[in-house]
Amino acid sequence: MNRYLQFAVIRFKSKTAYRFDYFLGILNSLLSFVVYYSIYKALYGGAQSIDGISFSMVTTSFLISLGLSSAFNKNEMFLQDKIKQGTIANELLKPVNFKLRMLFEDAGEGAFNVVFNFLPTALIAALFANICAPSGAINMLLCIASVILGYIVLWQISFIVQCWSFWLFSVWGLVTIKNVVINILAGSYIPMWFMPEKIRSILRFTPFESIYFMPVQLYLGGLSQWEILLGFLRQLAWIAGLYVIGELCWRSGIKRLVIQGG
Amino acid sequence: MKDILSLFFAYARSGLKSRFQYKVDAIVVIFAVFLREAGGVIAMYLALQKFGTINDWSIDELLFLFSLIFITYGIFIVFFMALRDFPDWIKHGDFDRVLLRPRGVLTQLVLCGADWLAAFGHGTLGILLLIISANRVGVEWNVKTVLYYLMCVIGGVLIQGAVFLAFSAITFYVLETNSLKEIFYWNMRKFAIYPLSIYNKFIQAILIFVVPFAFVNYFPAQFFLQKPDMASYPTWFMYITPIVGIVLYALAYAFWRFSLRFYKSTGN
Amino acid sequence: METMINVENLCKTFKIQRRSTGFTGAVKNIFRPTYEYKKAVNDVSFSINEGEMVGFIGPNGAGKSTTVKMLSGILHPDSGSISVAGYIPHKQRKDYVANIGVVFGQKSQISWDLSPLDSYEVIKHIYRIPDKLYKDNLERYTELLDMSDFIDRPVRQLSLGQRMRADIAAALLHSPKIVFFDEPTIGIDVVGKDKIRRFIKTLNETDNITMIFTTHDMQDIEQTCQRLIIIDDGKKLYDGSLENVKSGCVSTRIIEAEIEDMTNGIDIDHTQITHDESSGKLIVTFDTDKISTSEVMSQLMSTNSVKDISIKEPGIDAVIRDIYEGKIKVRAATRVSADASVGAVAFSNVCHRQTAPQADTRF
Repeated sequence: MNRYLQFAVIRFKSKTAYRFDYFLGILNSLLSFVVYYSIYKALYGGAQSIDGISFSMVTTSFLISLGLSSAFNKNEMFLQDKIKQGTIANELLKPVNFKLRMLFEDAGEGAFNVVFNFLPTALIAALFANICAPSGAINMLLCIASVILGYIVLWQISFIVQCWSFWLFSVWGLVTIKNVVINILAGSYIPMWFMPEKIRSILRFTPFESIYFMPVQLYLGGLSQWEILLGFLRQLAWIAGLYVIGELCWRSGIKRLVIQGG
Repeated sequence: MKDILSLFFAYARSGLKSRFQYKVDAIVVIFAVFLREAGGVIAMYLALQKFGTINDWSIDELLFLFSLIFITYGIFIVFFMALRDFPDWIKHGDFDRVLLRPRGVLTQLVLCGADWLAAFGHGTLGILLLIISANRVGVEWNVKTVLYYLMCVIGGVLIQGAVFLAFSAITFYVLETNSLKEIFYWNMRKFAIYPLSIYNKFIQAILIFVVPFAFVNYFPAQFFLQKPDMASYPTWFMYITPIVGIVLYALAYAFWRFSLRFYKSTGN
Repeated sequence: METMINVENLCKTFKIQRRSTGFTGAVKNIFRPTYEYKKAVNDVSFSINEGEMVGFIGPNGAGKSTTVKMLSGILHPDSGSISVAGYIPHKQRKDYVANIGVVFGQKSQISWDLSPLDSYEVIKHIYRIPDKLYKDNLERYTELLDMSDFIDRPVRQLSLGQRMRADIAAALLHSPKIVFFDEPTIGIDVVGKDKIRRFIKTLNETDNITMIFTTHDMQDIEQTCQRLIIIDDGKKLYDGSLENVKSGCVSTRIIEAEIEDMTNGIDIDHTQITHDESSGKLIVTFDTDKISTSEVMSQLMSTNSVKDISIKEPGIDAVIRDIYEGKIKVRAATRVSADASVGAVAFSNVCHRQTAPQADTRF
């Protein structure tokens, strides 16, 4: 395990080489936040709360989504590049689990993004937007745990899509489509509270509902212990299910690679 | 003119042929671009299911507003892709080749590089939104309005072209301008999609006077829709998109002509 | 014969930003950049006649490419004058470039995803090549460059040599009067290089096209050019016939000797003696104008017991390398007239060498 942590640390450090990108990245995140802030400010039109959801709850939810998106902001063409360049074979010969290594490298990058992109953005955002305080220390910890689980769900979906590069000329299109679907259905474009009820009832049966919304609910508090337990179980079940699908895709992809000789 | 057109078609033929080498992939990419851009629209649609209107704009009126940004970008990217990616052209030495050909530099850049897949993605989305919304928002189409709509589209393309032309000219001095474009174009475009009036005064001022995206979609849309939030701006803003486009483009062009002499080929 | 290219006192200086490292350095780079100036081309003059074929060589960063770029109108010179085929390249770019063709070995002008034929169609439009000329040229180059097998295949499927040939044809479709080849054989195998060289030579002979050829491969030059311009550090070091360079150091000889007992100090007047550690040989370099070979031999033999001895002449690569390294001093020749044969250059006195030449050195 130590070795895999090392992969994460190396990636974290290597990201610090591009300093101008910090400021640009922060500005990008901040402006994205401002767009949504402005839209919902206009939608609220001065109202204190709508359907029991206050405006500051909405901004908080956008900020938490932004944090997770920023953690997940990574190169999703990684596997395709390895396959295209033919270096995947060398990678497989190394005595490390390729998939695990990928996860830890991405996590290293994610940690970097959270520290150097999300946190400054959140601090600046808190200056002009009303952000709710966490509803308690335990809830905050649960929120972080849920963010990590959400990250793993996102990562696995991405991995499954990336595995298509064994068969397709390019997965850019698929990755883009996947991200649109996640952004809309997981509620990073529109808070889950305002999602039409019909769609929301369908979403309960997908991994999307809990990715962004579960951490938001935990942070704001108000979930019963039973709901929290159920939420976590659901996230874990999806992680297990996606793992199986990912493993199947990965193995048949490798098999194809071996047969076709790259 | 005939000569220019035949050159454009020669470029277009080869560009399309090369982008459609992998047909399935090309279609998936077009669809992906379409969907990526539609994402914000869908989210807005869902939100308005709940909230009804935003600053008095109904969803149909918003779709009409959105259509302008997508249509202009779809056309823009047919003619200005080379300028969008201009730092790469310089870095990889492609600009040297442009200088070695017996045609105007900008003529070649404008005609040669169309990002056809993006153009189809944005273009279809824009036209689709226009078709869906135009009747519902009650636009009366007659010679005058059709003509003005077309002029606004051209003006909107020129405004965005001018921004890129100016940044390309800056590239001759500082080589790396992608970050500047990120700040002044792509981020501003995020804002420009939605009605100008939802932002605070500072952002509005930037979108009107610095990177005048407001003239690409908001003010022309106001010409057709006459929403109450137009009251905060001078009425004549609704009529000047084509002029803003031409003037800005002319200024950017002058700056470009002036800067061309500072080109330092990087080559190796 | 008419002068095609005339360059006088050409200068070009580049301003290079000195990058500071570290965080404060990065901030400084943005707000207070510091610059240094590099003279890429420093007072270079030459003239080339119509139909001449000139090899242009120099180490990396010598200023070859910069000169070619100024000749082709891509770069504006800081000072000095250029006139090519009656045009001033950077001032009359559009009219001028219709008369030239440029081949960059490192940068293809045909699209990766298309066949050469597809790219040629576009080039035909860009240059407004008449149908008849286009057809004739295409036919001719396809045959001469042996391209019929791959002319309609996507470029990404072609070998480097094939791609280069396709690229050369692309630069010639509009029948230019002057062609610049910038390292057209780089990275290509022996057979491919040979095809390219023969084509270039044929074209030069039959069409009377003026050509400038930059390369790092001396064989390119030996097989195609009669005239050579050597440039280093922005300055012209040599301008004259290839033959002269080859014989320029004709008076230099190297004797390699294996000697029984190396402990004795050996000293012969007018020679330079070094000891090559790896082979254990003694290397004696001298100029036959100062001391005859037999004199060196006899002195060597009289004081030592010699096991083995050999005499060598430096090869062209070694001569060129030594010119770059300043071991051979050449007087930069200014051509008195436009006649190539007058451009002969006198190598100044001695060729001092510190190390033995390797005939197969590449640079």
